Amino acid sequence: MLALEVIRGLRVVAAPEALDAAPWGEDAVVLRFAADDAFVVAAIEIDLADEHAIIADETAFVGGWLTDDDLDEWVVPHIEWPLPDARPALAQGFIAGVPAKLWLTDGRTLLLCPAAYAHELSERLR
Amino acid sequence: MTDGRRFVLDGRPILYEDGDSVAVATLRAGEHPQHGGTICLAGDCGNCAAVVDGVAYVRTCQTSARPGLVVRRHPEVGEPELPVVETMPASRIRVRREQADLVVIGAGDSGTAAAENAERQGRTVTVLDAHRGMEVVAIYAGPTIIVRTLGGMLHVNAKAVVVATGAAELHPVCPGSSLIGLVTARAAQQLHAAGVDLGDAVAVGSAPSGVPCTPLRGRLLRIEGDSRVTGVVMADDTSDDERTTACDTVILGLGSSARDLLSRMSGDLPVTVVGSAADTFPLPDCPTTGTVCPCSRVSVEDLEGVWERGFRELELVKRASLVGTGTCQGSVCLPYVRAFIADRIGEVPDPFTARPASRQITLAEAAAGVHIDAFRRTPLHDEHVALGARMDRFGGWWRPWDYGDHVAEYWAVREAVSLGDVSTLGKLVVSGPDAVEFLERLYPTTVADIRVGRSRYALLLNERGHLMDDGMICREGESRFVLTFTSAGAGHAEMWVRDWVETWGLGVHVLDRTMSLAAINVTGPLAGELLRRVGLTAQPRFLQHVRAEVAGVPCHVMRLSFTGEMSFELHHSVDRSLDLWRALMAHGRDLGIAPHGLQALQALRLEKGNVIVGMDSELDSTPRRLGMDWAVKMEKADFIGRSALARTAQLPDDRRLVGLTMPGTAPIEGSPIWFDHQVIGHVASSFRSPVLGHAVMLGWLKRAPFPDQVEVDGRPASVVRPPFYDPEGTRARA
Repeated sequence: MLALEVIRGLRVVAAPEALDAAPWGEDAVVLRFAADDAFVVAAIEIDLADEHAIIADETAFVGGWLTDDDLDEWVVPHIEWPLPDARPALAQGFIAGVPAKLWLTDGRTLLLCPAAYAHELSERLR
Repeated sequence: MTDGRRFVLDGRPILYEDGDSVAVATLRAGEHPQHGGTICLAGDCGNCAAVVDGVAYVRTCQTSARPGLVVRRHPEVGEPELPVVETMPASRIRVRREQADLVVIGAGDSGTAAAENAERQGRTVTVLDAHRGMEVVAIYAGPTIIVRTLGGMLHVNAKAVVVATGAAELHPVCPGSSLIGLVTARAAQQLHAAGVDLGDAVAVGSAPSGVPCTPLRGRLLRIEGDSRVTGVVMADDTSDDERTTACDTVILGLGSSARDLLSRMSGDLPVTVVGSAADTFPLPDCPTTGTVCPCSRVSVEDLEGVWERGFRELELVKRASLVGTGTCQGSVCLPYVRAFIADRIGEVPDPFTARPASRQITLAEAAAGVHIDAFRRTPLHDEHVALGARMDRFGGWWRPWDYGDHVAEYWAVREAVSLGDVSTLGKLVVSGPDAVEFLERLYPTTVADIRVGRSRYALLLNERGHLMDDGMICREGESRFVLTFTSAGAGHAEMWVRDWVETWGLGVHVLDRTMSLAAINVTGPLAGELLRRVGLTAQPRFLQHVRAEVAGVPCHVMRLSFTGEMSFELHHSVDRSLDLWRALMAHGRDLGIAPHGLQALQALRLEKGNVIVGMDSELDSTPRRLGMDWAVKMEKADFIGRSALARTAQLPDDRRLVGLTMPGTAPIEGSPIWFDHQVIGHVASSFRSPVLGHAVMLGWLKRAPFPDQVEVDGRPASVVRPPFYDPEGTRARA
């Protein structure tokens, strides 16, 4: 069974241009769920050029890093949509009927899903 | 011959040669895969379908012979028995998924040319052909092509599809068409090439090249024999004289029809049909006697019967006679049925509608790769189970229905303190310079006058003024709010909020925290005492909310009440929920703390007359009908649903949600409400109140004038104004 662990980070909803210009730091993995919505996998404090930004600690995602072989074995058979060719790339959609996200980089992929669905995803990816 | 390679047909071993299909090997052994009928060896008809390894309706001409295969012929009369499955199969049917620019169905000349042409253009091409073990059974929107393979199912998402499935050969419609010894011309060539002895063969129509046979002239009248063919009777084209020719095999070269089932299934999808599948072939002569549809055993006489009964369109003829509804889905009979109708109305009808699946597939194959709805778990799920909760699905979540004794849970709330897991509530953060303006437009209540640190109950209405959801508006700052929604309505509410932000073009950010934040409702007269013990000394008053640490867990504490007792909702990060729950349970032990499930909660809120959206409300429930006009501020300039409410306020009040009480047990929910020997409504929620000692209900009266006394469950009931319990709200505000 695929082991899923809590992926801690920061959830930031702000004006797209403020997110574009944000100094995330080199080590941060920044996943843009939407133009105005970012999930930053890093323990950072951020100062944005948007006084109305919503910034919140996020502990509601579980997931794990997969090798390309893991991805092919565990995940790809359960996806009905095409994976993007470009790397890095964020892909979002149902995996085995569970809403999930993939952060695809060269050689490894971060699989994310809401913790509320973790049991379903683990069960279905067996 | 490959020694020792055998499969089993009806309990007898059948030798086969390399490359044989089950049908070819069966014919080589002098048997028929069924009990008679024309063999096409192309997968077009159902005349070779059998039970293969327990699966019925498998075309044996498309099934490669392999050692140990167990084949049973379908019964001569009736249908094959359904398999008895006592346990779930140990292994699931796997689904492989592929993407392609182009899918080509059919690897004949036309298909190969289309594939090569696409590849030259740099497109990725997947070629699917039944003879290569890739049997296409459906084309769905996408387009998504569903394929049955030996290794499981294959789902291919394509940008475009080329159907190059060729043409099917016509079968005969005449007396004797169900005998053993009939093959189409192309099947005869296959059998001859495979070394199968056809005996004395005659050819009707176009004779196949290379196959030893005697061509016959004239019109086919009938085929003679008992179970096997012994002769064929032809009529002279000019004189109508009959001539009988003795034979073992009748080879039928009667013409073709487009094999277009898949293309007809594809509707407006980007599907191109090429080659013979796109050709228009002449229809056969109108049949006058014999079996038109061997799959559903429909004769010409049956067609004439439904025609006489007035079914004169192709789709109606199909439904009335069941022609074309069997194994081959019209491949054999459709040309003849069209000819039958064309002969009577003078024009050729279009083919009937084609729908998936074009081939018989098992339920397991159809369901392969399909997942049922995923239900969410709160971070306390395992804790509930450990506490003996009965979990069930509500509003997309697993939630505790009870912990074994819902009445004891009820009393814990009314007399002591109790915890409820309300993590499932919808939670949105709204922030921005236009946040107040946005919420004023969104809600029928006023928002600008909510002070920071205060909250207000609010209805969510659609443009027709009908209730969609309800919840709280909590003001956290001048331009920042937290909105809550019902568990079942949260997803739709989020979509609704985002849609209106975009529609109005207002400066508002929205973040859905429903799955990020858990929430525990601490409720009961001793709730304040419990929270003091775990560090919440500066407690918010009714409808206030604060940020504070509770048992060391940062919480957003909202003071409100759904149960009718003092209640504090503790919203907190999902990863701290178990810590908080256990700390509260431990510190409340001597206060009589117990968790409560949904069953107790529904009773508690019913005593307060609090509506559950979707349970007590209907799709067209307005605030007036619900008796909740107090939550609507018509003096506001505008809000969603305002103009509809202003208009409907002028109409007669003919529907109302009311409170009902009666002695004794509570009627079941849904019970009709009677007045003057007529049903005038129904019970929406019902419960026998332990604290009041009688039944309390919410119910709809749908006929004005509204009576004060009605009858429910054969007993008198009084119409009253809720709440039934603590109408002044002193306990909630304590």
